[in-house]
Amino acid sequence: MSERKSDGPTPMERFIGGLLPENPVYRQILGICPTLAVTNTMEGALTMGLAAAFVLLCSNVLISLIRPLLKPHLRILIFTLTIATFVTIADRVLAAYLYDMSKQLGPYIPLIIVNCIIIARCEICASKQSVGTAAADALGQSLGFTLGLMSIATVREILGFGTWFGRWLGWRVIPEMAPAHWSNWVVMILPPGAFLTLGLLLGVFNALTAKKEKAA
Amino acid sequence: MNYLVSILLLAISTALINNMVFHYFVGNCPFIGVSRRVDMAFGMGAAVTFVVTIAAALSWIMTYFILAPGAPLTAAIWRLARHGSSAVVDLSILNYIVYIFVIAWAVQLVEMYVRKFFPPLYKSFGVFLPLITTNCVILFTCLEIMKHVPLAGAPVPDPWGLDKALIFAFFAGFGFLIAIVLMAGIREELDHCDVPAPLRGPGITMIVTGILALAFLGFTGMDANLARRLIKPAAPAAAPAATAPAAAVLPAE
Amino acid sequence: MKGSYIGQAWLAIVLASAFGAALAGVHAGLGPRIAANRLNDTLSQIPALVPGAARGEAVEVAGRLVYRAVDAAGAPVGWVVPANGQGFADRIELLIGLDRDAARITGLYVLQQNETPGLGNRVTEEAFRNRFRDQAAGAPLRVVKGRAGGAGEIEAVTGATVSSDSVTAIVNGAVDRFRREKPGMP
Repeated sequence: MSERKSDGPTPMERFIGGLLPENPVYRQILGICPTLAVTNTMEGALTMGLAAAFVLLCSNVLISLIRPLLKPHLRILIFTLTIATFVTIADRVLAAYLYDMSKQLGPYIPLIIVNCIIIARCEICASKQSVGTAAADALGQSLGFTLGLMSIATVREILGFGTWFGRWLGWRVIPEMAPAHWSNWVVMILPPGAFLTLGLLLGVFNALTAKKEKAA
Repeated sequence: MNYLVSILLLAISTALINNMVFHYFVGNCPFIGVSRRVDMAFGMGAAVTFVVTIAAALSWIMTYFILAPGAPLTAAIWRLARHGSSAVVDLSILNYIVYIFVIAWAVQLVEMYVRKFFPPLYKSFGVFLPLITTNCVILFTCLEIMKHVPLAGAPVPDPWGLDKALIFAFFAGFGFLIAIVLMAGIREELDHCDVPAPLRGPGITMIVTGILALAFLGFTGMDANLARRLIKPAAPAAAPAATAPAAAVLPAE
Repeated sequence: MKGSYIGQAWLAIVLASAFGAALAGVHAGLGPRIAANRLNDTLSQIPALVPGAARGEAVEVAGRLVYRAVDAAGAPVGWVVPANGQGFADRIELLIGLDRDAARITGLYVLQQNETPGLGNRVTEEAFRNRFRDQAAGAPLRVVKGRAGGAGEIEAVTGATVSSDSVTAIVNGAVDRFRREKPGMP
């Protein structure tokens, strides 16, 4: 509580940080479980991203509001309680209004509770900075998370189903062809495809950012 | 006999076929983080197995007796409070919160136990031991068990008693242990290889995990077919139906 | 130190109470809608499963939930029996449509499955499900590879013999059980 002049990164820095330099999927490698599980369709990725965004935003704002009251040894308990509550709310809202998505995402929505991203942001940002900064941080991180999810889902859905947003929009990227010319890469829909895609995309991401750093 | 076979099949299915890491994608963060050396990986796997068994037992008990719609304890308390009203009290909205706190408590318990009886192991774990709380395997196991807790009112398709829940939880942890030790063994060898710079660390780990998951895919269907061969159908009327597909089965997939 | 335990824990207690109230509100508000969603999943399939059915009524038969399909006037036209069993990869949940006397199968719908995409999960396609239509419910159905010979035979999905077998076995078991347990016609 010494100098409050420089309160840490500004809201804008927090927001931009979540997108690229501190991208939760590609840089921090957090929250991998939902990243692999829901990314076989774009709709799943988008819904998971939105649910995580809701939980992250609400938790960050609430924790930031009560941060003067937080005692050191109880703070993790308070974080967990807050996050679990908002996840329950998100899960129930999905089951009420987007029932098909809720069935498809299954147990991975409640797993947002143990998604390391949210606890990490509460600890690093929300418990130390003001509400505005915390909100910007939440928005940046969840946007980065959603973009990461959607990048993986794009690869998996196009190669595995031949569609993009096939369920909601019905766009076919790869036209229906005889199996002799193209058959869907079923492995992309299954778990191994998820791991392989993430590994290769991580490699691509690291290669691109390393080149940028070298050029700079 | 049927019972033992179904328990055995549940164990095999959870540890190998529907492996927590390779099939359900849970437990990836410690999987990447702690799989550098075999001894640490084994310690982590053992700790997770321990925690998940305790947490699963507690969450089954709490769900069955308190949280589920029509649960005995809650219904009894409600009847006492409201003088015989038999409305169904459904506390299942508190499920997730209760589970995560049960898990946090179980992790604290294991932490104290390890610190007291295995101090060097405790030191080598460092921050990873309390981090087991955020290990998706444990919460996922509790959620799976929640789907199978027998309900007083509505019939559940595949009810599990406390025994099956414990077997499921223990072998879920065991499957995680197999996965993480396998990975550690491979990574110890990878350290000597020339991995391209962008892929070093998480990148190559994910790719190797993908290949391992492909291998584990080969186990699919083992439990279903073993069940068909080994579990004798109960009612005689079901016998013709059971033998007909068994005779036609020659998996061509 | 003892006294300050309450001092430290009061925030947790206050938050827990506030959250508990919020969750109770969410449950009260959204609960009926979620229950309706779950029921609708099944009920919306009934008109497609039993010809002439406008809606279904939930009925308990020997401790199990089945649906009596009724037409717009309320007269019973058939039954819809939920069934589930082990598939190739995981459990499969089905809805089986039967006529009034449970003598013929009028339709099949797969509620839930986790079979191999592109192979086993083709049991959800209409081509496979239609093979069950108009089959007699008296004797168990048999699965054959290649063209189905006559009545009582179901052609398996190419490359998905086990999934086809599983679905047929589930249908046989459930239909047999329902025929034994169903109430006399009203």
